[in-house]
Amino acid sequence: MLLANEGFVNDAHSAASSKGVPGIRIVGESVACESTVIPEIEAGIAAAMDDVFEALTSPLSPEEKSPGQQTGKTPRIAFKGSLQEVNRFFYRKGWGDGLPIIPPTEEAVAEMLKGTDFPPDHVVAKIIPRKGKATIEKIAVNAVMAGALPTHMPVLIATVEAFADPKARFDTFEVSTGSWAPSLTINGPIRRDIHLNCSSGSLSPGDIANSAIGRAVGLIVKNIGGARKAIEDMGVIGNPGKYSLVIGEDEEASPWEPLSVERGFKKEDNTVTVFFPNTFIQSVPGGTDAKGILSTLAAMGTASMSSVILIPSWAKVLAEEGYSKQDVKDYIAKHSKPVVMPGFEEMASSDRIDTDNLMILVAGGPGSFIGLLKSVGPRFFNNALVTKTIRLPKNWDKLVAKYGIFKPIYERY
Amino acid sequence: MNRLLLMLSVALLAVMVIGSLAMAQGAGSYDPKKPDLQFEVLSPWADVDPIPLRGISPRLTSFDGKKIGLYVNTKRAATPIANAIDKELKDIFPDIDTIIFHSNLPNVNEIETENKEKFIAWAKSVDAVIAIVGD
Repeated sequence: MLLANEGFVNDAHSAASSKGVPGIRIVGESVACESTVIPEIEAGIAAAMDDVFEALTSPLSPEEKSPGQQTGKTPRIAFKGSLQEVNRFFYRKGWGDGLPIIPPTEEAVAEMLKGTDFPPDHVVAKIIPRKGKATIEKIAVNAVMAGALPTHMPVLIATVEAFADPKARFDTFEVSTGSWAPSLTINGPIRRDIHLNCSSGSLSPGDIANSAIGRAVGLIVKNIGGARKAIEDMGVIGNPGKYSLVIGEDEEASPWEPLSVERGFKKEDNTVTVFFPNTFIQSVPGGTDAKGILSTLAAMGTASMSSVILIPSWAKVLAEEGYSKQDVKDYIAKHSKPVVMPGFEEMASSDRIDTDNLMILVAGGPGSFIGLLKSVGPRFFNNALVTKTIRLPKNWDKLVAKYGIFKPIYERY
Repeated sequence: MNRLLLMLSVALLAVMVIGSLAMAQGAGSYDPKKPDLQFEVLSPWADVDPIPLRGISPRLTSFDGKKIGLYVNTKRAATPIANAIDKELKDIFPDIDTIIFHSNLPNVNEIETENKEKFIAWAKSVDAVIAIVGD
């Protein structure tokens, strides 16, 4: 049997089912999660012991002895109705994200499938916790729902491949109480083809690519992976980044080599780099020379598995004063004092910054602020940044001609 | 002339906005003039490969002289919870024995780690297991 905080009982049942033992008896207890108060723990456990004894001794039901086998199949057609009815149906099924969805009709999904040369039944990966089969068609269905375009499909497929890479530790981050959100950093010419905003307000709403790709990823995680909020995704506070956290490097404005080249790819390759931050902080540098910028990066608590988002202006200041990207990382590794919470001093004292898993990203617009997306690792979770190639379909130029022409035109007022 | 250019610009903008909406709505599948239009939609919920489901082990008929395994994960409350259970069990059944398995890796399937052999040996050595996850 398994003993868990009462708020985690549903999560435990899903975990047991996904591992083929749906009958595992789970007892909920009332001890505060991660409690350090011994009298409280003892009282909570004492109150749960009758249930523990019951779980260990009461005879098995026929279903517990021999659970019914399942086909694992889902009807391909989910529903038929008006726009409003479809939206209500999906919302009630728990397939949405709280915002209206675009109905994934046969016609719309067929159009979305033009964004890849893979056949619809090709399984890109099985996504945890449910081990749902991420077929090209299921990715496309969720992409349509999110309002994504066929030109976004190659990014979504590469992202699913990144999730399946054990080094990403998607299994931990996606369902963790820490509310880690998938962060996608895109490099290569595709950024311009899909009008990915790499400049002012990259991480704010308003651009289809930045918004819809991230939204589609969130739906894929939920509907293919089966990580549903407060059922399997046990993020305590939650994270607005789970709606979308998609950025591109402003390679044209950067004085340095792109992230993709740093990570062993060619400049003309299209790539997506994935990690899972749960913290986003921003600061104006203490001074606008190299010393002022670098000392601020160190003071922000930059650690391994972080993405430092430097506006082009500050990147140029650093480059003109002779700093390469690696020099900046080395400076951070030497001078940064990671934020240490009481009770975790020992862990922090042995956690050295691994510059291979520290991104220096040139992005953002006019202004002064520096951004920092922070995750954890690799010492604790043995995780790493994961970069995958974004493979374009043969008809890419036609798709770009069809879908690449739209971008916001703001009128002055 | 300027007025004509302005009108053309507005018309072009309107075409782009409508086109963009139609595109985003799925290649012309939504017509705002027909709000009752019916949509047959595909399911976003994934199939899974069926895995053989296993029943759970027979239950204990008594605790006398039994060995109870306490599995403890890496969450900081897990060990004190195990200690509390150990105390409760032994207060009621003095001849009970408990054997704790401490996981040293966060969020893993123990049988897929370097601890596999140790874990299996522990599981085989006990009559029942209480898994404690610290949350």
